[in-house]
Amino acid sequence: MPDQLLQQLADGLLIGLMYSLVAIGLTLIWGVMNIVNFAHGDFLMLGMFTSFWLFTLFGVDPLFSIPISFVCLFVLGMLIYRFIVSKVMKGPVLAQLVVTFGVSIFISNLAVYFWTPDFRLLPATMLQGTWRIGGVELSVPKVAASIGSVIASSCMFLFLKRTKTGKAISATEMDREAALLMGINTERINSLSFGIGAALVGVAGAFLSTYYYIYPQVGGLFGTIAFCVVALGGFGSIEGAFIAGILVGLAQTLGGFFFDPSYKYAIVFMIYLITIWIRPQGLMGW
Amino acid sequence: MESKNWIRVLCMTVALLLVLVFFVSAQSEQKVIKIGAVYPLTGNIASTGLDCKRGVDLAVDIINGKYDLDLPLARSEGLPNLGGAKIEIVYADTKGDPKNGMSEAERLITSEKVVAMIGAYQSAVTKTASQMTERLTIPYVCSDSSSPTLTDRGFKYFFRVSPHDDIFARDQFQFLKDLEKKTGQTVHTVAVLYENTEFGSNAGKAYKKYAAEFGYNVVADIAYSANATDVTSEVGKLIVSKPDVLMHASYITDAILFTKTFKEKGFQPKGIMTMAGYIEPGYLAAVKADGNYIIVRSTFALDLAKNKPLVAKVNDLFRKKYGIDMSENAARSFMAPFVLAEAINRAKSTDPEAIVKALHETDIPGDQTIYPWKGIKFDPQTNQNIYARGTLVQIINQEYVTVWPFDSASKPVVWPFPGWKER
Amino acid sequence: MRNFTVRQISVGFAILLLLIAFPLVIRQSFHIHVMILVFMFGMLGVAWNIMGGYAGMFSFGQAAFFGIGAYTSSYLSVTYGINPWIGLVAGGCAAALVASAIGYPCSSLRGHYFAIASIAFAEIVRIVFNNWKRVGAAEGLTLPMQNESFAQFLFNSSKLPYYYIMLAFLLVSLAVSYFVTTSKMGYYFRAIKESHTIAESLGVDVVLYRLIAIMISAFLSAMAGTFYAQYILYIDPGSVMLLATSIQIVLIAMLGGAGSLMGPVIGAGILIPASEYTRVALGYKGTGMDMLIYGLLITLISMYYPEGVWKLFVRIGRNLK
Repeated sequence: MPDQLLQQLADGLLIGLMYSLVAIGLTLIWGVMNIVNFAHGDFLMLGMFTSFWLFTLFGVDPLFSIPISFVCLFVLGMLIYRFIVSKVMKGPVLAQLVVTFGVSIFISNLAVYFWTPDFRLLPATMLQGTWRIGGVELSVPKVAASIGSVIASSCMFLFLKRTKTGKAISATEMDREAALLMGINTERINSLSFGIGAALVGVAGAFLSTYYYIYPQVGGLFGTIAFCVVALGGFGSIEGAFIAGILVGLAQTLGGFFFDPSYKYAIVFMIYLITIWIRPQGLMGW
Repeated sequence: MESKNWIRVLCMTVALLLVLVFFVSAQSEQKVIKIGAVYPLTGNIASTGLDCKRGVDLAVDIINGKYDLDLPLARSEGLPNLGGAKIEIVYADTKGDPKNGMSEAERLITSEKVVAMIGAYQSAVTKTASQMTERLTIPYVCSDSSSPTLTDRGFKYFFRVSPHDDIFARDQFQFLKDLEKKTGQTVHTVAVLYENTEFGSNAGKAYKKYAAEFGYNVVADIAYSANATDVTSEVGKLIVSKPDVLMHASYITDAILFTKTFKEKGFQPKGIMTMAGYIEPGYLAAVKADGNYIIVRSTFALDLAKNKPLVAKVNDLFRKKYGIDMSENAARSFMAPFVLAEAINRAKSTDPEAIVKALHETDIPGDQTIYPWKGIKFDPQTNQNIYARGTLVQIINQEYVTVWPFDSASKPVVWPFPGWKER
Repeated sequence: MRNFTVRQISVGFAILLLLIAFPLVIRQSFHIHVMILVFMFGMLGVAWNIMGGYAGMFSFGQAAFFGIGAYTSSYLSVTYGINPWIGLVAGGCAAALVASAIGYPCSSLRGHYFAIASIAFAEIVRIVFNNWKRVGAAEGLTLPMQNESFAQFLFNSSKLPYYYIMLAFLLVSLAVSYFVTTSKMGYYFRAIKESHTIAESLGVDVVLYRLIAIMISAFLSAMAGTFYAQYILYIDPGSVMLLATSIQIVLIAMLGGAGSLMGPVIGAGILIPASEYTRVALGYKGTGMDMLIYGLLITLISMYYPEGVWKLFVRIGRNLK
C-alpha cells in the first residue's frame, strides 16, 4: 500500500493545483468587486474549446494555445464586465449574483447551439504520457498544468504586490472607498480585474483540455469546487486560493481512496464547512 | 413612466403568452398515427438523446415508406390495415429530469393526443413517464432503458423490447465460464465498479448477485459519482485490490475519464468488461485507440451483418441519412416504433386496449429484427421480451466486434487484455 | 406594509378568483401542471424570502430542505404506511431540525460565505441520500399508485385537487411570510440583515432569530417537498436535491423581488412558464435555444430590474389610481 499512498498524494497534489489555477481568477473577481462569478466555470469551458478548435482547425498545440486563450478570455471578460456586469454594480447584491448566472446559462447553451453537446478529447498532443518517478506515475499533462498553476499564481501574487496597477487592484480589494479617495479609477480596476480573472481561468481551461473531456457543460463541477476553494482560502486572497486548492485536491483524493469514493465530494464540502466554522473568513481572508 | 406604456407592454406580453400557448396546444388534422417520444434532447446527456432520435427517425422513414427490407411494415407505405396511415413521432425534451418525463408524457397524451409512447433512455425518467402512461392507460413500448426494475412493477401498459441490466450482467459471467471451458483461462477475482445513480447501482447489484451465483470472489466494490473531475482514488483502489477482471457500469463521461486514468496508471487486469458508456459513439471518438480490447455488452454490432444481411442494409440507410454508422443506442431505439406500428396494424385500431391486446400477441421472428434474437414476444406477466438477450463485443482496431456468444462471434476474443503500451 | 388599502385587497381578491377559476376554464392538463409548478416554486421562493430577503441569509441550498421533506413523508408512507399528511408535518419538523443543526454553527457567517456554506451543506445532504441504502440510495423511492383519496393525498383522475391544494399551501406560506414581516420578529430580521453588530447592540438575540428564520424557511420548503412527492410519485436525490433547483429558487425570489411579500410569487409566475413553454416549443430540437432564451431573460431582468419585477407591478398599481 505505501506506494499507492504516495501515488494518491501525488495525484491529489496534481488535481489540487488545477483547482488552484481555476480558483485564482475567481478569487480576484470576488475580492475586487464582491461578485460571485457564476459564469466562471463557463469561462473555463471556453478556454478548453479555444484550445480544442485551435488544435483541430489549425493544428496549434495546446501549449501554444495558452497565451491565445489568455488574450481571448481577457477581452471577453472585459466586454462582459463593461456591457453587463457594470450595470448591476450599483444595485442590490442579489442582482449581481444572478446576472452572472444568466450569463452562465447563456454561454453554455450558446456552446451547445454552435458546437453540439458532444464530448471531445484532444488526441495526442505535445504533452502526453506519464513519467515514472520514485515508483509514482505522474501524468505529463497534469504536471504541466501544475507547473502552469504555480507560475500563474506566483505571477499574480507578484503583480498584485509589486506593480502599480496590481497595487491599485489590491487597494480596491481592501477598501473600495479609500481607493476611490486616493484617485484610483475603480471602474477601470473592476473591468481589468474581471478580464484578468477570466483570462486566468481561460488558461486553466487550455491546460485542462490536454487531459479532460471537453463539452459545453464541463464548467459545472469545476465551478462549484472553485467556489469552495475560494471561500476556503478567503475571498480575494491569491495565496489563500492557491493553498486551499491543494488542500481540496488532497482531501478529495485521499478521502476517496481511504474512505469511499462515492463520498469524495462530501468530504471536501465537510472540510470546507468545518474550516469555515473555525475561521469564518477563510484561511487567509480578512 | 406613462401608464399607457405599461398597458401596452402588458398587452404585448399577454399576446405573446397566448401565442406560445396556442403553439403548444396546436393539433394537426392529418391522417396520421401519433406516437409520443420522450428523450433528453438538451442537457448533460443530450448527445445520447439525439442519438436515440436518429434511430427512431430512421424507423419511421422505413415504416412510412416502401423499402425492400425484412422489417415489419417496411414493404408497404404506412400501415396497410389502416388505409396506409402514417406514423408521426411527436418528440418532447425531458432534459433528463424525471419530473419532465411525467409532465411531457401527460402533455403528449392529453394535448397532442398520441396513442402510444416510446423512450426515455434514462431509467429514472422512464419510470415517471411510464407511471403517467399507466395512469392514463396508454401503451408504452420501451427499447432503450435497461433498469431491471422497470418490468418488475406489474404494469399493464408498459412493455420492454430490449434486454435489461440483469440479463447483461449474467451474460458477462456466462462469458467467463464459456471462456474457461474453451481456452482453459481461469478467472477467480472480480472487481465491480459502477456509477452511483439508478442505472449504475442496479447494475452493481446484478454484478454482485451473479458473481456469487457463478462462484467468483468480489475483491472490490466501488461506487463513484459519474460527473467527477478526477478518478485517481477509484483507480488506486482498483489497483490495490488486484482483480483478474474488472466489471464496469458507466455512462460516457466516466467511461472516457476512467479509460484515460487506467492508461495513466497502467491498470491491467486480464479483462475489462463494461456496460453502456463504452458503446456510445462519442466514446471511441474521444479515446480512439485507447479503447481497444475493452469488452462491452451490446444488443447490436455492425458485424452481425455477417449472418444477417439486414443489418448491413439498415446501416447503409442510416449512413445515407446521417453520414455515420449506426450506434448501439440508435439501434436499440430503432425497434420500438416497429413493434408499436406492427401491433397497431394487427389491431386495426388505435384504441389503447386493442393495442395492448395486440402487443400481448406480438410474435415477431428474429430475422425481422436487426438483433441476434430469436424474436420479440412479451412475457404475459412482466411484459418483458422473453427473447431479448445481449452479446459481447470487443473493441478491436477501434471497431466493435462481436466476440460472444462464441458461435456468433466474427472474431476470436483477445484475452487477456494486452498492455497499454502497444497501441 | 402594515395595512393593505382597499384597492390592494380588491385586486388581490380578483386575482385569487381568477386563479380559482383557471383550471375550470383552461382544461388542458399541461397548463394546469405549469400553474401547479408556479405555485410550488412560488412557495419555495416565499420560504427562501423569509431567510434571504428578510433576514439577509442568501441560501443556495434550499433544495436540501425540499428533498428532506419529500423523503421523510415518502419513506414513512412507503415503509410504515403512515398517512402523508402526518408525513407532511414530520417532514417539516425534520427539515427544521436539520436546519437548526446547520444554522447554529453558521450563525456568524454573512453574505457570500453563508451562500457557499449553504451550497456545501446541500451537496453533502444530496451525496448522503444518494448513498443511503435505507431510503433507496440512488434509486430513490417510488410511491405506490393506490386508489385516490384526499386522506391519502393521492389523486389519479384529475389534477384539480393537486392544483387547489398547492394553491392553498402557497396562501399559507404567504400568510406566514406576512405575519413574519409585520410582527416584531420581522423587525429583528431586518435589523439582522442590515448589520449583526447594530442588531446586537439593540439587544436582539442574533443567533436565535437567525435560527428561527432558517427553521421557518426549512419547514415551508419541506411542505412543498412532500407535495412534490405525492404529485410525481417518484423521488430520487437527482430530482429533489439538485443544486440547480436551489439556484432556480434564488432566481425566482430575486427576479421577482427579494424582500417583498409577493415578489417570489411574481418571479415564479414569470420564470416557470418561461422555461416550461420554451422547452416545449423549442427544446425538442436539441439546439439549446430554449435555455439560451432563459439565460437571456435572467440576464436582462437582473440588469434592468435589479430590485425585482414586482416594482413594475407596484408602478402599474399606482398608475391605475
